[in-house]
Amino acid sequence: MKGKLYLILIFLFLAIIVINIPIFAHKVNIFSYVEGNKVYTENYFSDGTKCVSSKMEIFDNQGKKLLEGLTDQEGNFSFEIPQEEGDLKIVLTASMGHRAEGIIRAGELRNTTGLVQENLEEPTSKETTESVKVHMTGEENKVVSAEISAQNLKEVQSLIENILDEKLTPIMREIKKSQEGKISPTEIIGGIGYIFGIFGIIAYFLSRKK
Amino acid sequence: MHISEGILSAPVLVVGASLTATAVGYGLKKMAYKQMPKVAILSSVFFVASLIHVPIGPSSVHLILNGIIGLLLGWAAFPAILVALVFQAILFQFGGLTTLGVNTFTMAFPAIICFYLFNRGIKGKNNFFALTLAFICGFLSVLLSGIMVATALVFTGELFMQVAKLILIAHLPVMILEGILTVFCVGFLRKVRPEILDLDA
Repeated sequence: MKGKLYLILIFLFLAIIVINIPIFAHKVNIFSYVEGNKVYTENYFSDGTKCVSSKMEIFDNQGKKLLEGLTDQEGNFSFEIPQEEGDLKIVLTASMGHRAEGIIRAGELRNTTGLVQENLEEPTSKETTESVKVHMTGEENKVVSAEISAQNLKEVQSLIENILDEKLTPIMREIKKSQEGKISPTEIIGGIGYIFGIFGIIAYFLSRKK
Repeated sequence: MHISEGILSAPVLVVGASLTATAVGYGLKKMAYKQMPKVAILSSVFFVASLIHVPIGPSSVHLILNGIIGLLLGWAAFPAILVALVFQAILFQFGGLTTLGVNTFTMAFPAIICFYLFNRGIKGKNNFFALTLAFICGFLSVLLSGIMVATALVFTGELFMQVAKLILIAHLPVMILEGILTVFCVGFLRKVRPEILDLDA
């Protein structure tokens, strides 16, 4: 009985050590985000090691391969947004049998800058022509200033888009990272419980056979 | 070295699954219910051990502990490792469910080999000799696992020598570490409770 007790103690000791160090799932993870007209991916094993020179393949939502490449020394891989509509699937194949898939939603790929800018342009140009018609006398500077402010509006628009992109990308990255499965002590203890349970049931049936 | 989903071809998965099924069946037959606490504990140790990462250069490796598990369990190592892998796959998405057969076989088969090679030797009279054998056991079990993983990956079109070299070099620290761990465990058990090492497989 003493021997078994020691075995249990050794095992508990190991378990306590493991729970106290940062624990990550042993798989490869893809973090992807869209900035401008490119998709950026950072790939690493969840214990932090970067995934260098690993194969990346991009598929469209029909399963057709669009492009492939290798991650660089930092584990990053980027590509221009392809013309194809719909979601994109990214597949990462790292060494020694590790593989991961990710999906980039169509919504992330097409931003709405172009559309909104267009909408803004039309009404203002309509306005300028109307103001020219209605106010014939000495309203030229008003017309000119209306045109200029339409131009400014467009610039301000794209400026805001760029700044927002810059600010939000790191935040989105953090959110995605925290969503990735991290192993909690709960899961470990649960798993151990299941293991004991299963072998307990097996033991029960084996004892009945005798 | 758990192989993830979607890498191995179907024939390899089927072969692995059938080999494992046979071996697990045999292991269950050989298990005595008195052994159960030992089996359950070692299965849990295996379950937890894969979370212990050994930092090595560009890739990510973890402890396997199939040497000591084989020594202490014999054929029962197959069901023990299978159950642990099932829960690793379900709870941590570690490895995969279709690859259960292959992963179990690559890790449990070296365990049973090391059992047959070393089980008698570590119970011998000479302490130093027994501990040396323990080190070799821990070392060899990881080595054999690496070779088996490389064999499985070969059938997906990778060159054996390339993959095998990569795996073995990456796992060299693991091999050494597990050799040392096995030495400590065996030395400890020899002193405190040698009956645990006794097994009629």
